[in-house]
Amino acid sequence: MIDFAAVGQSLDLLFSNFGPWLVVVPGIVLGLIFGATPGLQISMAMAIFLPMTMYMDFIQAMLFLTAIFTGGSFGAGIPAILMNIPGTSSAIATAFDGYPMARKGQHNQALGVALASSVIGALMGYVVLFFMIQPLSYMVLRLGPAEMFVVILWGMTLIASLKGEQVLKGLVAGFVGLLVGTIGFGEIGLARGTMGQTYLLDGVPVIPAMMGMFAASELFKLANKGFIVESADARKVKVSEIFEGCRMAFRYPVVMIRGGLIGVLVGAVPGVGSSVSNLLSYIETKRRDRDPDSFGKGNPKGVVASEAANSSSEGGSMATLLALGIPGGGATAVMLAAFAMHNITGGPQFIRQQTDVVYAIIFANFAQVFLLVIIGLLFIPLLANIVKVPMRYLIPSVLVLAVMGSFGLTGNMTGPATVLIFAVIGWIFRHYGYSVPAAVIGMLLGSLAEKSLLHSYQISGGDITYVFERPVTLAIFALLLISLFSQPLMKKLKARQEAAQS
Amino acid sequence: MSECKRDYGDFIVLTGLAGFTLWYLLDAIRVSATPQNLLLILPLAIIVLAIIALELFLRIKHGSLFRSSEEEPLHKTLPVVGLFAAYVLSLETLGFDIATVVFLALFLILKGERNWWLVGGYSVAFGLSVALFFSQMLPYPMTLLLLPS
Repeated sequence: MIDFAAVGQSLDLLFSNFGPWLVVVPGIVLGLIFGATPGLQISMAMAIFLPMTMYMDFIQAMLFLTAIFTGGSFGAGIPAILMNIPGTSSAIATAFDGYPMARKGQHNQALGVALASSVIGALMGYVVLFFMIQPLSYMVLRLGPAEMFVVILWGMTLIASLKGEQVLKGLVAGFVGLLVGTIGFGEIGLARGTMGQTYLLDGVPVIPAMMGMFAASELFKLANKGFIVESADARKVKVSEIFEGCRMAFRYPVVMIRGGLIGVLVGAVPGVGSSVSNLLSYIETKRRDRDPDSFGKGNPKGVVASEAANSSSEGGSMATLLALGIPGGGATAVMLAAFAMHNITGGPQFIRQQTDVVYAIIFANFAQVFLLVIIGLLFIPLLANIVKVPMRYLIPSVLVLAVMGSFGLTGNMTGPATVLIFAVIGWIFRHYGYSVPAAVIGMLLGSLAEKSLLHSYQISGGDITYVFERPVTLAIFALLLISLFSQPLMKKLKARQEAAQS
Repeated sequence: MSECKRDYGDFIVLTGLAGFTLWYLLDAIRVSATPQNLLLILPLAIIVLAIIALELFLRIKHGSLFRSSEEEPLHKTLPVVGLFAAYVLSLETLGFDIATVVFLALFLILKGERNWWLVGGYSVAFGLSVALFFSQMLPYPMTLLLLPS
């Protein structure tokens, strides 16, 4: 499983000169800045700086890009905790409990928890990648479109039922989100629901819509508050509390390990990646917890679950990229472009012939993770000061960043207009108790769900019995039904037990 | 907005979502009624409409079709929403630089900032620097009136 000769060669590649390491610190800082700025994506940072890698050798280019990836994965959690704005879709679940922690005055601890979980998650991802790169790529190949579709449905159902008391509204929000996600050209080249508008032909711009629904709508709600954290004492930035947060994360090793493993596995599935892994890990942690009602109200386990999963996804998506040459998401797609720029094609042959290069990338990422601890600790106190800013300054400033960032994503006024429209929709959804995360995830996964279903239909020739020949599909479908009906059933049983006792 | 109106709002949102679903389904059928086009949309739309019907049925059964919301009244937030809408709609006319400065200043005044030096200073400094940063970082042309594009 491990080629020890290649291990030695990879260490030579990394330590024979300092060249490869010169780009790591700037890469992490760039990743932190882009990840922590709402609207700027990690993939955007990588794409902007991709031309620079033409002047680097392949190892240096990969270290630079993976450093941006590593920094960005953690950076995205900072605005999620401090402003309830996930810097990217991979930090959505971080906001669920990170932001309530910040509002309780535990922003320092929440950031510490996020940093420690990110570091351990990323480390786990690359350790698993080191040992499992070949078996993992084999497993990914076994997942067909039918499994992908049921995984999406399962994830959607879990997210929609997060708000235990309003499951029906959650399901409506999630499924309408899925429908919105299919607007525009479908897989067979027909445009639906565009109302004749050309800018909808490629579908609703999902990231601006996400920024509107998550960020702007929440800011509207907070417009009448003085500060994110109402108590003046709680607004202090204390490095000691950030360290305390780091220690707090290690109190939940099971949550961390489970999140890390979910992240690696989901991250390895092309097209899904960290956007889904953080949510699955969060939901799984909440489902298994003794006190699920405490989630969404500032439970640090929620932050641990999300951050460990989204950071370890990096290792998973690198596995697919290196072993199959398939990008798992936007960031690895940019890396694939870097491969092409250096005339390298990922795949089994690349792993066999250039094992030393693959190991060098993995080892360099171990070092990057430790550098992230130092750089992260230096950056957090700077960024945590945001809680001291009065809301009347913070709200318009963040709205401006969201609008500018959305313009950056679409290159025209479609982005800002989408932020506005979905901000209003999100505000109304929040007001009437519809699940905003379910709607957003639905939009993110709509086209992927349709593509997976259509491919299954084409493979099976429209024969429904095809599903019964796919045991994994059936198993995931059973899980979907269990997760949908177990919660109300358990509640009924509990109520009956309590009634019998009294 | 009165308590009664808020209650109607919840009902309107639910029926609005049903309306959108029905419209989207009919539009998809109009474009093409082939199974490939409707494979996901048709069953999903039926499920959404069925859940909405069930939700309405349960509300009627419990006598709470127009049930009240405990959230803050919508009207308190409407001026902020209106200002944000005006900002987005004015970006192309006023330019990203001027529109941002004006939006920041008006928001601060709306939310009670009465130190005019702070209002002017912050709006100009933050608004122009953000507009400059994005105009330099992004590969697309941004409408700017004051700053060099």
